[in-house]
Amino acid sequence: MNHRPFEDWLLEDQHLTSDQERELQAHLRTCTTCSAIAESNLALHSARMISPTAGFVSRFEVRLIEHRNATRIRQIIGTTILVLAGLALVYWFASPFIQEVMRSPADWITNVVGDFLFILTSVQAFSEVSRVFTHLLSDFISPIGWLVILFLVSGLGVVEVLSIWQFTRTPQGV
Amino acid sequence: MVWVVQAQHGSDEAFTKLVEAYQTHVYNLCYRMLGDAESAEDAAQETFLRAYQHLHRYDQKRPFATWLLSIAAHYCIDRLRRRKFSMVSMDAEEDENSLELPDADAPNPESEMMHSEQREHLQVLLKRLDRMDRAAIVMRYWHDCSESEIAEALQLTVSAVKSRLHRARRELAGLWQEEGPHPKPERRPHESPAF
Repeated sequence: MNHRPFEDWLLEDQHLTSDQERELQAHLRTCTTCSAIAESNLALHSARMISPTAGFVSRFEVRLIEHRNATRIRQIIGTTILVLAGLALVYWFASPFIQEVMRSPADWITNVVGDFLFILTSVQAFSEVSRVFTHLLSDFISPIGWLVILFLVSGLGVVEVLSIWQFTRTPQGV
Repeated sequence: MVWVVQAQHGSDEAFTKLVEAYQTHVYNLCYRMLGDAESAEDAAQETFLRAYQHLHRYDQKRPFATWLLSIAAHYCIDRLRRRKFSMVSMDAEEDENSLELPDADAPNPESEMMHSEQREHLQVLLKRLDRMDRAAIVMRYWHDCSESEIAEALQLTVSAVKSRLHRARRELAGLWQEEGPHPKPERRPHESPAF
């Protein structure tokens, strides 16, 4: 028998019959390559596990505590930086208003109250006008007229959407 | 598995039990991959730390040992990659650190010395293999992992693992042949010559 099957038997860790084992033994006496494979196989199979030195678990516990402390410190530093950056940003945006308030607080409060009242009365007036307007229009325009208006507005919407779609579909700047 | 579930629910005591149970497995893989005791200790500690941090990701359908070994193998492969590109050659230091002294209290010191030399020789040869091939060999022969477990742990296909194991063993045999003289290993009783 040639060299090949013996090498495959050894490299693939095949279980051998007693006849195959005898043939292999005979081959090993003459073939240095297969003999080296058999020896290295044997060394691999007889290799032992190596254990860590005593106290591995205690050392791990210490390392875990150190890791947790480091993580906690990192979190505290990160949160502090975030809060400080947020405060700085708020101050940067609010500083003109703050300066104004500090200059004359009474004027500022008067202005704010005035603005608030203006917005409130504007909203009230607008709602009153729209209520009157819709009441009047409902008397002038029939239900069919409303349908036509609605149809036209929807059509315009569809045309706009289509034109935007067409515009974005065409490659630009080519 | 009870410890794993308890550890996943935040029990530090259960995780400590897991470290106790698997320390030798993880340390041995790191030692075989990195070749010196100091790096192996550090890598094993880091493996358990990573396992602790990502315990919520562990799928209980997989064997816990394989999951741990997978973390250890990937960590060691990364470390070897970094070491390869580092400016300082650590080979001399590694060789010095990796010497295993024979057990003076052993019943047969001569035999123990022979085995120790043989193990040392194997360790030296292992260091010459490709990182991934080395991980596959260590998982196969020291940890009795199946080819599919190795494939899962190293994120390879089963056929890739087979071919890596085949190639690595051929290379190991070639090195074994070149590096002689070395002590002849003793065959276990009733063991196939293929082993």
